[in-house]
Amino acid sequence: MNTKTILLIDDEQALLEPLAEALEFEGYRVLKARTADEAFVFLNTEPIDLVTIDIMLDPGVECGDDVDSHKTGLYLCGEVKKYWPEIDAFCISVVSDMRVIKQVESLGIRFLRKGETPLRTVLNMFRSRLTGVAYSTERDRQDPRRGTGKNSEY
Amino acid sequence: MSETDPSSEQLRRDVTRLEQENGALTRRIDQIEKERVEYLQNVSHQLVAPLNAIKWHIENLTEARMGVDRARKVLRSVYSQATIAVHLAKNFNLMSNLEADHALSKLKEPLQEVALRKLLINLADDFQPLAWDSNINIVVDEAHFADGPPVWAMRPLVSQVFSNIIENAVKYSSNDTKVTIQGNYLSGSDCFSVSIQSQGIPLKPEHVNMVFDRGFRSDEAKRKYPAGTGFGLYIARRIVEIHEGKIMASCRKHPTVKNDWITVFQVILSVTGLQGKARVREY
Repeated sequence: MNTKTILLIDDEQALLEPLAEALEFEGYRVLKARTADEAFVFLNTEPIDLVTIDIMLDPGVECGDDVDSHKTGLYLCGEVKKYWPEIDAFCISVVSDMRVIKQVESLGIRFLRKGETPLRTVLNMFRSRLTGVAYSTERDRQDPRRGTGKNSEY
Repeated sequence: MSETDPSSEQLRRDVTRLEQENGALTRRIDQIEKERVEYLQNVSHQLVAPLNAIKWHIENLTEARMGVDRARKVLRSVYSQATIAVHLAKNFNLMSNLEADHALSKLKEPLQEVALRKLLINLADDFQPLAWDSNINIVVDEAHFADGPPVWAMRPLVSQVFSNIIENAVKYSSNDTKVTIQGNYLSGSDCFSVSIQSQGIPLKPEHVNMVFDRGFRSDEAKRKYPAGTGFGLYIARRIVEIHEGKIMASCRKHPTVKNDWITVFQVILSVTGLQGKARVREY
């Protein structure tokens, strides 16, 4: 059984509910943070293997004065890479500002746009990162028309 | 020593003035462009987010990752996200009409009898699944909801007034609190008053009127939900004004819960006032 822990950081948790549902079904332990403050509490106290970060986010009381809520996620991406480099990080957001996306990706964090990335793709990416096995679209799919997909990069 | 030609001096002054005006206009255009981009980002964030949640929920359902009970819970979430999406679409539709016409009367919604208690119960039920996400209860306080005659109003618009206020109340409330809706018939003035009370972030005294301005969002609201557009209460005010009613807000510190504030929005609608004038104005 998979007991890896995944932290989902989003101020509107209802929007990540289906992702949490699917991850729990697959046996992951899921933690949820609504603010940067809550995220830091989990990062400091829990053994986290993978984190997802939204961009527009309530920084919370502790981080509030230093962080623009429109870019809280960007700040979190930097902090995670700096202090928890061993944690795999993904950014999941609807933000379309290419400057922000480039800043996220320049940190080595994969950006996934809400509304465009199928849930299955997200799950396969997480599984690939956490197991070290190359991403494959074939894992859950039996449709031969989609090609082998083996060892394909994402 | 040559004298300065008065006409060329005037010309220089004109050029300088035009350059300054041009600079000011360029700065204003840049500012408008920045606001436009921010607005579009906020709109797309607000619309895409619930639709994406619905898409992902459907993926879960089609891949049979859950039993019947879980599926029921997921369908409730789909319903609440669809409620948000529909509500937003209505607001953007109203907003585009407002921007185009500057008068909601051009919408020509028919006037009809609106039973406010029933309307508010429907809205409370509509937003309750969203409120459950933060363990918030929406209560139509029957004990403090006096019976009165129905009001003559444009029902879809009045519904949007209350749904905007209720949605805000839910979004900016603290977890594990209550949103309370009360109603009172003011027989002396033949008006119906509805108040919606919630407990959460503060609404500062200097903001109680500004909160109805187009695009206004307080720092506290931006911090809690960065993606809002600041249109909800502006639309509410415009609709209430069309109905010749009143809308106001007040806020006070919670007596016992630290950092929590109690905010009350009150809407007063005339029961028959608009009906009489409607014939003349042909709403």
